Amino acid sequence: MIDFDQIDKLIHEKGRLSIMTLLSTRGEWAFQELKAELGMSDGNLISHLRTLGTAGYIKESRDESGNRPRTSYELTTAGRTAFKEYIELLGEIVKAAQPT
Amino acid sequence: MTTTEAALENLRLIRSLMEKAHVYRTISAPAALAGGVMAILASAWPVQHAATHNGEAVMSDVCFLTDWLIILGIASVLNVILLRREAAQSGRPFISGGMRMALRALAPPLLVGGCVGVGLIIFLHNLTLAAVMWILCYGLALLATTSFAPRSLTRLGQAFVIAGLMIFFAWASHSDVLLLSSDVGPASLAMGLTFGLLHVVYALAVFFGRQPAEVQAK
Repeated sequence: MIDFDQIDKLIHEKGRLSIMTLLSTRGEWAFQELKAELGMSDGNLISHLRTLGTAGYIKESRDESGNRPRTSYELTTAGRTAFKEYIELLGEIVKAAQPT
Repeated sequence: MTTTEAALENLRLIRSLMEKAHVYRTISAPAALAGGVMAILASAWPVQHAATHNGEAVMSDVCFLTDWLIILGIASVLNVILLRREAAQSGRPFISGGMRMALRALAPPLLVGGCVGVGLIIFLHNLTLAAVMWILCYGLALLATTSFAPRSLTRLGQAFVIAGLMIFFAWASHSDVLLLSSDVGPASLAMGLTFGLLHVVYALAVFFGRQPAEVQAK
């Protein structure tokens, strides 16, 4: 029996799920890359990134060496684990709904 | 929306984003077309001259090397300009994670192939083998990007490797070619057929392709 309360509500939201998915594909993503890929407004993206950062799922790094400072994000170990568990749970939900 | 429907929709979203994030085109189609046309033009004269003058060379080995380095330089600059413009149009930074990933995959085979090819021309005066080395290493470089490249580029890489191997065996099994005083003709033919023709076919396939595989997947 699946306990639907196990769903990580933080990741379940579409915007944050999209961010977590992109960050899971490779090491780090610059803010501008995330923005271009997801088509979110600055405010929306910052808000989601802040929520994920507070939960300890992502970490931010700043590179001030170039002409323009570059902020990039990557998943933490806790974030990677939470994302993996979230996908597994989705899989279980879909499997449970299929007729046997 | 039921939990199952929400789960299915989120799984679809994850899949489409992962596919999208994993695609990076290292060669712009217009740059490939321009490079291909330049390669065909550069190879036509030496091939035609060798065919009509019993294999006589139309240029020196150094001139052959210089010609192809100039074409490489022009095509590379054009490719960078077009990739930069594409990145600007889609609001992405030019030097992105995708580009870094691509450079890491491309650099080793390109460097090895480039250096060995130049060495074969300068020290061993073997232009055909140098061309084969460039063709094979370029193909392998494109295949190294398979995990994130669009399918058309993977196909181009496969075509280069297959063509390179076929040219090598054709060259190695025909002693007449080995006896020529200069192999500018056969080497130019190999370069024209691959860096010329294959690039033009790739560019046309991208331009006129119904829907690239990477777009269909979204």
